[in-house]
Amino acid sequence: MIKHPDVCEGCLPAEAVVLNRNEIAARLHASRTFEDPLIDRCLARLLSVVSYKYCYVRLPVSFPEANLCNFGFAEAASADLAKNLKGCREVFLFAVTAGIGVDRLLSRLSAAGTAENFITDALSSAAVESLCDTVSESLCRDCSCRPRFSPGYGDLSIDFQQPFLERIDAYARLGVTLNEARLMTPMKTITAIMGIKTAEEKGCPKK
Amino acid sequence: MPQKMKEKITERMKKRRIWLDGGFGTMLQQRGLGPGETTESWNLSHPEDVTAVHRAYLNAGCDVINANTFGINSLKYENYQELLRAGLRCAQEACRDFPECYIALDVGPTGRLLEPLGDLSFDRAVSAFADLFRALPELAAEGLCPDLILIETMNDAYETKAAVLAAKEHSDLPIFVTNVYDESGKLMTGADPEAMIAMLEGLGVSALGMNCSLGPDKMLPLMDIFSRRASVPVIAKPNAGLPEVRDGKTVFAMNQDDFAGYSEQLARKGASILGGCCGSTPDYLREVIARTKEIPLPVLSDKNITVVSSYSHAVTVDRSPVLIGERINPTGKPKLKEALRAGDMSYILGEGIRQADSGAHILDVNVGLPEIDEAAVMKKVIQELQAVTDLPLQIDTSDPAALEGAMRVYNGKPLVNSVNGNEDSMRQVFPLVKKYGGTVIALTLDENGIPETAEGRVAIARRIIDRAAEYGILAKDIIVDPLALTVSSDSESANITLATIKELTRLGIKTSLGVSNISFGLPQREIINSVFFANALECGLSCAIMNPFSKGMTDVYYAFRALKGLDSACSDYIAYASALPVLETVSSIVKAPAAEEKEQDTLAHFILKGLVAKAKEKADALLQTEAPLDVINRHIIPALNTIGADFEAGKAYLPQLLMSADAASAAFSSVKEKIPPAQQSSGKGVILATVKGDIHDIGKNIVHVLLESFGFTVYDLGRDVPPAAVAEAVKKYACRLVGLSALMTTTVPAMEETIRLVREADPLVKTIVGGAVLTQEYADMIGADCYAKDAMETVRYAEAFYGDETEE
Repeated sequence: MIKHPDVCEGCLPAEAVVLNRNEIAARLHASRTFEDPLIDRCLARLLSVVSYKYCYVRLPVSFPEANLCNFGFAEAASADLAKNLKGCREVFLFAVTAGIGVDRLLSRLSAAGTAENFITDALSSAAVESLCDTVSESLCRDCSCRPRFSPGYGDLSIDFQQPFLERIDAYARLGVTLNEARLMTPMKTITAIMGIKTAEEKGCPKK
Repeated sequence: MPQKMKEKITERMKKRRIWLDGGFGTMLQQRGLGPGETTESWNLSHPEDVTAVHRAYLNAGCDVINANTFGINSLKYENYQELLRAGLRCAQEACRDFPECYIALDVGPTGRLLEPLGDLSFDRAVSAFADLFRALPELAAEGLCPDLILIETMNDAYETKAAVLAAKEHSDLPIFVTNVYDESGKLMTGADPEAMIAMLEGLGVSALGMNCSLGPDKMLPLMDIFSRRASVPVIAKPNAGLPEVRDGKTVFAMNQDDFAGYSEQLARKGASILGGCCGSTPDYLREVIARTKEIPLPVLSDKNITVVSSYSHAVTVDRSPVLIGERINPTGKPKLKEALRAGDMSYILGEGIRQADSGAHILDVNVGLPEIDEAAVMKKVIQELQAVTDLPLQIDTSDPAALEGAMRVYNGKPLVNSVNGNEDSMRQVFPLVKKYGGTVIALTLDENGIPETAEGRVAIARRIIDRAAEYGILAKDIIVDPLALTVSSDSESANITLATIKELTRLGIKTSLGVSNISFGLPQREIINSVFFANALECGLSCAIMNPFSKGMTDVYYAFRALKGLDSACSDYIAYASALPVLETVSSIVKAPAAEEKEQDTLAHFILKGLVAKAKEKADALLQTEAPLDVINRHIIPALNTIGADFEAGKAYLPQLLMSADAASAAFSSVKEKIPPAQQSSGKGVILATVKGDIHDIGKNIVHVLLESFGFTVYDLGRDVPPAAVAEAVKKYACRLVGLSALMTTTVPAMEETIRLVREADPLVKTIVGGAVLTQEYADMIGADCYAKDAMETVRYAEAFYGDETEE
């Protein structure tokens, strides 16, 4: 299957991603101190099915007009994104996924019991968030980056998802597909754009 | 153009190794294909480049070139026929000087994920692939004739099946299939090589194997599996090693020497057909051909493996007995009958999951009830079950339409129950087994009934196997059921059945038995069943259709395997035995429970703590002495009110509320069994749906379980529900309370439309909305009667709604 040679991909073992307790608590609608053996069981089972993968590409960005970002392969009309990327000359486009095994697990649990389904869904959302943090931190190791920004945030249309996913070979590399409502499968997948700060920006040696 | 008189590829591959071509996209990138451009677009814009790449592979010595048609399908392109024609023309042009070469119509994945995890239906996928093959006769009239169909780079078993089925239904060309395995040895959606081999050989493909993703070195261990399991020629079409990132660019790191060296090893391990994928070039293939042309072709033999498969794995019927869970069969099961009539999938799916958790290897699925549309229900149950369990399924029906529908949408190679010695039965079942692939259970009965001797039953088995062969179905795909008739009416029955099993086993024929029929009409049937099961296993029984919840039966199974050397270090037995409940000791029975224990031994306590099994157990105990409605009103509802109030006061969290609701539901289901069906409906109904376009249903499911545990009757329409379907439900159930959920802003308009339609259907309907994107403001804007910020608010609103209604 044809892939873009400038896209890089990788995978991470389950133990390489540390779940954030605050994130878990928020997703469970519970306090940070809330504990239950069922949550531990759900977490252990979830971690046995996750398959963390990511891919990314580093691209130049330009702003032919106000509120228009040009990434070469496509343009995104979004004032919010343009503001987020203001002054950047390059961006990372990346996607991370917890894998289709999580969808299957959730599908099975939805027929088995509401509590386990809800808890596992919350934990897997927290897991993919942490995966996203882990990957973006490693991308920013040699440079520094703006906060990440995803299609569907603010005024950036969810329709941007399609060219975005094609550009990073998300299907070929991660098995990520888009349905007619522009939702991604596997469900626990995040795509994001991250502006790379220029050398002029404080504390940032340019790569 | 002179008529090609070359040998068919299926003939040639019996005589010598076949070499496919190598990387194509990477070759076009070298010729200037840019980011954002598709390879297939070059069929029209740069045909001479496409032809040149083909020609380079032919010059390198390849036998088969893949037309540049991989990315073409009718879902993606309106002008798919034009692209197809141009692709085949480029290939034909390249073959002009190579009369012996073969052209493959190259078919890749659609890029969409099939239901249930994705949103592309299986039927839609088949028809999208069929569009390609339907174009072939017209192209043939223009002289553009591929010699084979190569379905390649498939990540998903289900999509692979859709493509193969479409090819079979619209073309007579040989079908080659290769899938993408990753380093764990599985497809991205979970299938292992054994599962793919079982399904694809069942469908009758001419060759199968692997391509892309891995280099030839990483394919070696998988090649061992293919040579051990596959009866048709095996294809290996590796990448030029794993991709590496150098200076921000992906490169394929393996050089042509190493690539050819590993390809040589693949050939020695049994690959009959070799090629290359990403990163490989004509030079790589030239080297591969030089290194492998002297290696003798592997001798192909039928592996004689009896196997069925699911989307993820194969179950091989061999020495270790196979357990087929019998619980999804309405015979003698009033709850299942009720669920089937009401279309209540959750009960059926729950039975499937529980059997899987209890150790079943295969699930029997029988939905035969006189008053339902069996074909429609069977198809739905099969599709929903394969979303929640990875076990292979046994399609159990006597209705040929139901059988065909189910075999078609089944994701794997199914077990079919059953055929028998009646000519009509064989005429109906065998063509379906031939078309869709499957292993079939053959009952030893015919026009004259069930023979009273083992010889008579064996004779029918032989006759069925012979007739199957006439349809091209191999003996390995027939499992004989010698039938068990109850010993209560015929004292020789067990002896005859056991003797038949013994003889069939001696003949190398696999067997299956509905074990519990032996005890029909007797008390304490489990005693007879387990002893008979042990005897049958001793005689060589391969599969048992049985109740996986029966401890007597599972005891026999685990003990038998341990005793017969089928359970290494008795590890399965030890795991099974350790999980059994420890017998109560005398002292624990006589000891009076402490006051604290007494307080904790209440249904309310188990519900508050969210202990599902305990709550059910306690409810069962209470029902011995209390009226069902008392159990609800005095135990379940007060406990739920307590946890509900705690949740509202911020003293309990959502997971705790849900655990309590699950426990209450379990208790409630026990209570329901004691209430006559006519009185079961509370009269307080709520329709629930996640609106059109939205597939996130967890919030809706939470509301469902809470409402139900509070005693409401819930009509759950599921997710992605069209507005009109909700309006219809309002009329159908005469229900005036509708709960709608949406997670995404994009689906709020669908919610608004739904509210409008239900009001049209019945102006007195009240709507309650919730979901991540909803706010009071949004709810007001779209005209909802109530915005619920969480599930408890919905319960409170529903209580108030029906409270007000009663007062009126």
